[in-house]
Amino acid sequence: MSDRRLPRLLQTPAVILLLIWMLIPLGMTLYFSFIRYVLNSLRRPEWTSPSLSNWRGFGNYEFVLNNKDFFFAIQNSLLIVCSILFATVILGVAIAVLINKAFAGRGIVRVLLISPFFVMPAVNAVLWINMILDPVLGLQGIAVAGINEFIDGMRAAPVVGGFFSLWPELEPISFRATQTSAWAVIIMVTWQWTPFAVLIFMTSLQSEDQQQKEAAILDGAGAWSQFRFLILPHLGRPIAIVVMIQAIFHLSLYAEIEIVSRGNGNKNLPYLIGEFANNNIGAASATGIFAVILANIVAIFLLRMIGKTLME
Amino acid sequence: MGQIELTSVTKSFGDVQVIPPLDLTIEDGEFAVFVGPSGCGKSTLLRLIAGLEDTTSGTVAIDGEDVTQVSPSKRGLSMVFQTYALYPHMTVRKNIAFPMRMAGLSDDEQKKRIAAAAESLNLTDYLDRKPGQLSGGQRQRVAIGRAIVRDPKAFLFDEPLSNLDAALRVGMRLEITEMHERMKTTMIYVTHDQVEAMTMADKIVVLQAGVIEQVGSPIELYEAPKNLFVAGFIGSPKMNFIEGEEAAKHSAKTIGIRPEHIDVVESGGQWKGTVGVAEHLGSDTFFHVHGTGLAETLTVRAVGNVALKHGDKIELNPRAAEVHRFDQAELRIA
Repeated sequence: MSDRRLPRLLQTPAVILLLIWMLIPLGMTLYFSFIRYVLNSLRRPEWTSPSLSNWRGFGNYEFVLNNKDFFFAIQNSLLIVCSILFATVILGVAIAVLINKAFAGRGIVRVLLISPFFVMPAVNAVLWINMILDPVLGLQGIAVAGINEFIDGMRAAPVVGGFFSLWPELEPISFRATQTSAWAVIIMVTWQWTPFAVLIFMTSLQSEDQQQKEAAILDGAGAWSQFRFLILPHLGRPIAIVVMIQAIFHLSLYAEIEIVSRGNGNKNLPYLIGEFANNNIGAASATGIFAVILANIVAIFLLRMIGKTLME
Repeated sequence: MGQIELTSVTKSFGDVQVIPPLDLTIEDGEFAVFVGPSGCGKSTLLRLIAGLEDTTSGTVAIDGEDVTQVSPSKRGLSMVFQTYALYPHMTVRKNIAFPMRMAGLSDDEQKKRIAAAAESLNLTDYLDRKPGQLSGGQRQRVAIGRAIVRDPKAFLFDEPLSNLDAALRVGMRLEITEMHERMKTTMIYVTHDQVEAMTMADKIVVLQAGVIEQVGSPIELYEAPKNLFVAGFIGSPKMNFIEGEEAAKHSAKTIGIRPEHIDVVESGGQWKGTVGVAEHLGSDTFFHVHGTGLAETLTVRAVGNVALKHGDKIELNPRAAEVHRFDQAELRIA
């Protein structure tokens, strides 16, 4: 027995540290979510310091559930995460397969492809919203104006003029608006994280068995069949990893949402927590607990879906 | 049908010509073995026939039809790879069905052929497993099954047994030979193992540095090797080569004599030496003899158990009729 005790004893510090690391913040969040605790209140100064005498029960939770933004934030969190996952995996697989073949300048192309991943999230957001998506000064605005001008010019042209006069004038899309700001975030995060997916898929493709490929060629598999029956199953595991890691990261998106529209029409749970935390720590903590629950639900889903692939 | 004809085929990788112009015909139904040391171009030659490599010049014809520019899948050949190359995420059944699925065969036909292949290869109980759950020998059988169901004009084997252990290798060797006897389909088999070549082939093609050294039946190669290389490569243990005075007696630059053609005698032997290592196998005894003054080591095979050990004096008599003579250019003197 004693020979088992020693390894356990040696493991304990690490385990205890991990427990402290997780349990203390979680415990404090739970505690704050059940009391009235605000940062600043002239009317009720006793609420500004955490104390059991300010017990509120499930009051904070009720307050959060009744907040008009809460369900919207959950829905928006899921929309953003799922859209980004969908787009990055498809783009990632497509690009990885495309650059897997040897061609001149492949090294440079690869470096360029990876580079968006090294841009800071806030810089990424500023860059996109101001320089690319802006309806007037961004590339989008310039492109739409250019197309409109071209169509305008063509209306006077003989023969094809009639065709172009049927075209409506194109309106640039304002990505800071309530309805579209989530899409701006999805676009810019997809741009930033596709390289991550490409990187992982690319390394996986390099480990592909060449003889399997040759066997498939001899078996009469065309390019599409090879992709469908060899490459895609081979990428199953890396896809699972990319989905898992990205889901964790994108549930906590913040900088992009702040910069694009300051949460206007586009809040996710972390952003809502941030808004509450401006003053109402109790409500922010209660939202935090909801966020933990949401993250766990997503995790269970992912593990069910992906665990199988990973275990095989 | 499955007659394969190579006409002045060459292959270069960049500036390096790995196969100088080469002509070879493999008749329908023949079991041809390409054998040679590693790097001799035998696998490249097989890949040229399969279409996995493009020829630099020359033509490949199957049944008289030029297929040099035809894609690998349209040549009607099946290949079995050294690493088996099974599709890891598919069951055995799906692996075997894959080429038929690609060819768009009906489900009934697929089922029939899978059942027949599984039956003949003893795979029926494993059809729903994945390759990862099979042993090396079973995987190799699945690979062969996948090749059979296509009903090819010829089978190409690329060192299929080199990843198996010795006992399995002997078993699979027999299975493949029997399969050939049964199906009578052309087979081309690449190996570096001359024992496999000798036991399986109708026709052996000995290659060195991309050049065909000799083509012939196993016994032809054994009895009348064209040159020193073939003489040394075919036969196990290797033929003994003797140069100098002894060779001059036979008016040759080099003479060669196989270990089994030297007799161990009690006294009055032509050659005398001391035993370096004696390998007692029961059925045979191999002696590595030093100090004969002819070559550094002479290998001798005696039938049965001969009770000589390290350091003993030994007397030897070569059988004069079995001496192979080679000239200055290393070619056989008839």
